Amino acid sequence: MSDVLLEVKDLKKYYKVPKGMLHAVDGVSFKLERGKTLGIVGESGCGKTTIGRAILRLVEPTSGSVIFDGVDILKLNKQEMRHMRRNMQLIFQDPFSSLNPRKTITQTIEEPLILSDMIPDPDQRFMRVMELMDTVGLAERLVNTYPHELDGGRRQRIGIARALAMNPKFIICDEPVSALDVSIQAQILNLMKKIQREMGLTYIFITHNLAVVNHFSDDVAVMYLGRMVEKAPSEALFANPMHPYTQALLSAIPVPRIHNRPERLLLRGEITSPINPEPVCRFVNRCNYAIPMCSKEEPRLMEIEPSHFVACHRVGDLQKG
Amino acid sequence: MNMEMKKPNEQQTTLEIKNLVIHYISDDEVVKAVNGVNIEIKAGKTLGLVGETGAGKTTTALSILNLVPEPQGKILSGEILLEGRSVLAMSELELEAIRGDKVAMIFQDPMTSLNPVHTVGDQIAESIEIHRKVSKQEALKQAKEMLELVGIPSERSNEYPFQFSGGMKQRVVIAIALTCNPNLLIADEPTTALDVTIQAQVLKLINELRQKYHMSMLMITHDLGIVAEVCDEVSIAYAGRIIEHGTLEDIFDHMRHPYTKGLFDALPDIGARRSELKPVKGLMPDPTNLPSGCPFHPRCDYAMEVCSRSVPENKWLSETHCVECHLYTDTNESML
Ligand SMILES: Nc1ncnc2c1ncn2[C@@H]1O[C@H](COP(=O)(O)OP(=O)(O)O)[C@@H](O)[C@H]1O
Ligand SMILES: Nc1ncnc2c1ncn2[C@@H]1O[C@H](COP(=O)(O)OP(=O)(O)O)[C@@H](O)[C@H]1O
Ligand code: SF4
Ligand code: SF4
Ligand SMILES: [Mg+2]
Ligand SMILES: [Mg+2]
Repeated sequence: MSDVLLEVKDLKKYYKVPKGMLHAVDGVSFKLERGKTLGIVGESGCGKTTIGRAILRLVEPTSGSVIFDGVDILKLNKQEMRHMRRNMQLIFQDPFSSLNPRKTITQTIEEPLILSDMIPDPDQRFMRVMELMDTVGLAERLVNTYPHELDGGRRQRIGIARALAMNPKFIICDEPVSALDVSIQAQILNLMKKIQREMGLTYIFITHNLAVVNHFSDDVAVMYLGRMVEKAPSEALFANPMHPYTQALLSAIPVPRIHNRPERLLLRGEITSPINPEPVCRFVNRCNYAIPMCSKEEPRLMEIEPSHFVACHRVGDLQKG
Repeated sequence: MNMEMKKPNEQQTTLEIKNLVIHYISDDEVVKAVNGVNIEIKAGKTLGLVGETGAGKTTTALSILNLVPEPQGKILSGEILLEGRSVLAMSELELEAIRGDKVAMIFQDPMTSLNPVHTVGDQIAESIEIHRKVSKQEALKQAKEMLELVGIPSERSNEYPFQFSGGMKQRVVIAIALTCNPNLLIADEPTTALDVTIQAQVLKLINELRQKYHMSMLMITHDLGIVAEVCDEVSIAYAGRIIEHGTLEDIFDHMRHPYTKGLFDALPDIGARRSELKPVKGLMPDPTNLPSGCPFHPRCDYAMEVCSRSVPENKWLSETHCVECHLYTDTNESML
């Protein structure tokens, strides 16, 4: 039996917009092993949310394949997909906007159980809701409260309980702690780790916060304008970032210490448009190392060291220094 | 004991806030947003005001220009001195003269300060015309120079805010703020909405301009990394009080208050992976129903019996470093 739970091959999602074709996700491939976490990082608009939604078919991919537990889910019909989705859940950034304000905590957590008819008996269902609340650290006395009565941390706990209700194997967490203050963020991150250990969950963890992703993930993938530009085990990526964009991204983080502050590599310019991109390196107009070749040909993601993938024409000579 | 030590340094003070109390009062509740804040910024220095959501940072900032939203917002007591002059005693006319002249303010959302139907060049020029008393033509010329100064090609001065990215809009706001050569720049989470590579560019810009113009700055942020990058001193806010204050060294290397320690411990460390983070337990306090005594006591691992009874007084540990915590009264020296 293979240990790979999810394999994504050449996944694309294009949107037709007035000015042309917007390449939100443009040929992304990766494998994710059971019980592991893949972090996906990158700046706003690079396609992180779209990847997550395309994998779950909450938006229909333009092309590519998504093989989950041996099944190519892009070939499933509606009915089969609905069934499959029990195994694949999503946690959002803003728990508030994803919760129905007129439903109590218990009603909110119970909803997927009712819709799927997974536990038809109301008493058993209530027991299950209480169990889920306990798992995510929501006190029993909160059963009849409404989302607006709760702080952001607790709302995110509801989001997590709801995602866990169907006993999924796999959860995509899209910026789950980005709206939370640091003292609360750490509580939620610890909770998500604990649940993963106890239930053997596999995660995709989407964030723009690099310190959080390093803490949380086994592997990290860096996205730029719809393309994956680097992917490596977290330690390797943070210790030895090879793509010029990854290097700039890491060096841009303001580190909370006053001694040994790292040298900063400033990028010029800003991210360009993902509409009708030319088949060249998408980072070329901001890259400090660009050579003529970079504006002629799109670099492909290649395995430079074991499990360390980079898409850059100059990766060989830049490493030599 | 523990009176406020007067510092020997005779440097001029740009801003001094003493014992500020601001509540938002409505029919059904009283939000105790600011509960005795003390702040001091010397000429040319940058103070970082750090705290989590609801700590009272924005309310404090707004009070400096007497802009706390009416009618709920009430400044109940305290003093705000701008270069020695009391803001709360000023007439609306005097305040108008100070806003955007001696003091400029930048918000998290640049559109708070920009007009969507005027070109960015016109908006900068308008501010120059007012503050520098020059002709319209001269103002437009200087507006282009300001754009270049903040890293935007001057050819783009005829474009509208919607044609600019978030980072560029924030640069335009900074340009407008600088047109009046302010003595004090208040920046309320100016880079929170920006991506990190753009944030790095904007912080660099702010650092350069701060030195070039010798401004004082109040930098409000929840990010200790930003503090390390641009500030000289730090005040940590919790539940509307400054619970610890000091130089960067005082706070980063010799932090004393349990909450300050908690803030640092809760951060994932980019350099070293740990299996578990150390969160601060419990929730942020409800400002309509603040805990008795030390507002941090329900979450504090060091809480003692006295902590729920009495509010700790401000205690100076050195000439630069002060803390509000019962661990540092005379009988309990440096327990952390
Ligand atoms: N429904 C849509 N229609 C058109 N463009 C879209 C749509 N959803 C997302 N996009 C675009 O796709 C790109 C990737 O967006 P997104 O996946 O949300 O990025 P991220 O989550 O990394 O910020 C962006 O340019 C965004 O504007
Ligand atoms: N206009 C207002 N009316 C009522 N309460 C307010 C108003 N503005 C802010 N508050 C409350 O005052 C407290 C402090 O808010 P604020 O000064 O914005 O804190 P911070 O900027 O540190 O997040 C919060 O509890 C907030 O909800
Ligand atoms: S391919 Fe060229 S432009 Fe792209 S990142 Fe590498 S060196 Fe820079
Ligand atoms: S005064 Fe007491 S409760 Fe407050 S921070 Fe100090 S030890 Fe903790
Ligand atoms: Mg997103
Ligand atoms: Mg604020």
